[in-house]
Amino acid sequence: MIAPFSETGGLGSTGLLLSAPLIGLAFGWFLERGGLGCAPKLAGQFFFSDLTVFKVFFTAILTAMLGAFWLDRFGLLDLSLVNLPETSVLPQAIGGALFGVGFLVAGLCPGTSCVAAASGRLDGLAVMGGMLAGIVVFNSAFDWIEPLYRGTPLGAIRFSDWMGISTGAGVALITAIALCGFALVGRFERSRVSS
Amino acid sequence: MSQTHRLLAIVAAVLGGAAFLSSFSRSADPSELASEIEAESDHMSALDLATRIMHEDKNLRIFDLRSQAEFEQFHIPTAQPMAIEAITKSVLPRDADIVLYSEGGTHAAQAWVLMRMRGYRRVFVLREGIYEWQSRVMEPRLAIDATAAEKAEFEKASELSRFFGGNPEMGVPRSQVPSGYWTTQQSETPQTHTAPFRRRGC
Repeated sequence: MIAPFSETGGLGSTGLLLSAPLIGLAFGWFLERGGLGCAPKLAGQFFFSDLTVFKVFFTAILTAMLGAFWLDRFGLLDLSLVNLPETSVLPQAIGGALFGVGFLVAGLCPGTSCVAAASGRLDGLAVMGGMLAGIVVFNSAFDWIEPLYRGTPLGAIRFSDWMGISTGAGVALITAIALCGFALVGRFERSRVSS
Repeated sequence: MSQTHRLLAIVAAVLGGAAFLSSFSRSADPSELASEIEAESDHMSALDLATRIMHEDKNLRIFDLRSQAEFEQFHIPTAQPMAIEAITKSVLPRDADIVLYSEGGTHAAQAWVLMRMRGYRRVFVLREGIYEWQSRVMEPRLAIDATAAEKAEFEKASELSRFFGGNPEMGVPRSQVPSGYWTTQQSETPQTHTAPFRRRGC
C-alpha cells in the first residue's frame, strides 16, 4: 500500500476520519511529554535560557524529512501526491514576525496552547481564545488584507528548488544544518551550566 | 550528549549523506528502460496532461523541445522552451513529473532517454507531441456516428477544451475525426489527418 493514504484511498474515508484525531492526540501527547506545554520553557527559547523548542522542532523536521525522502525512494510514499503549501515571502515574513511576538508574549503557540489548556492551565485557554479571535479578525479584514496576502508569491516551492539543487542535496544540507545546530546548542547549554 | 543522542545523530548523518549521494544515482539500466517503453509507462496523454494543468498541479514541469519560434507561435500552457542540448545539463527537481513534447514524438522520445539516463525517474512524453494536444484538447471532434464510449470521452475532452479556449466540434463525418493511438481504433500512428490539422495552425 502506497501513501499518502488520503490521496490513494488506502484507509478509506472512515479510516481517515479516525486517523485524524489519533494523529492529533499523538501530536499533543509528544508535545506535552517534550515539556512544550510549559510557557516558561517556550519563552526561554527567545532568551536562550532553554532551547528545548529548537531541539524538539528540528528533531521533528529532520525525522519527517528523512522519513519522507527515503519512503519515497523505496516506493512506499508518493511524494508527488503530498500537498505542498505555497510560499509568499512578504506576507509569511510578516505573519512569522507576528507569530513570534504572540509566542513570546503568551509563551505558547497554537499547538502548545491546546496542550496547555488540556493540562488544565488557564493561560492556555486564554491563548486559544486569542487565537480564535485572531481568526475572526483576519477573516473579517480579509478583503483589505488580500493584496498583501497574495503578494510576492513563489508558488509551491521547496528549499531545494529555491537553491537550484537536487532534492537529495537539499535533504543533506538541512540534515547538516540541524546536526550542527544540535551540536552548537549542546555546547552552549553545557557552557551555561558550567558557568 | 548521551549514547542514544550520538547514535541518532549518526543515523541522521548517514541518511542525509546517502540522500545526497542518491542525487548521483546510477543512470537507468537499459533493460529497465526497455521495460518502461514496452509497458508504455513513459507516456502521458494530452487529456491527462490538460487535466493536471487545469488543476494547477505544482509537481508538473512541461518542456517544449521545438524551436523558439514554434514555441512563441503556440505552446501548451505552463510549458517552458528547452533545447535538446540543455537536457543534458539542466538541474530539475528529482521528484517532479517532467513532461516532454515536440512536434511529433521523436525528439521527445530521444530526450526521454537522455533524462532517464541522467537518473530522472518521473519523465513522460506526449507521444504524438503538439499534434496530440491540438487534436485532443484544442480541437476535439465527435463523429456523427460516435459510439457511447466516444461520446463520453468527448464530454470530458470538451470540458478541458473550453477551459483552454479550444473549439470542440460535434457531428463531423467520421473521416474528419483524427485517429491516433489514443482513439478506440488503437492505431499506432496518426492517420492521414495530420496535414489538415497543421494547416489550421498547429
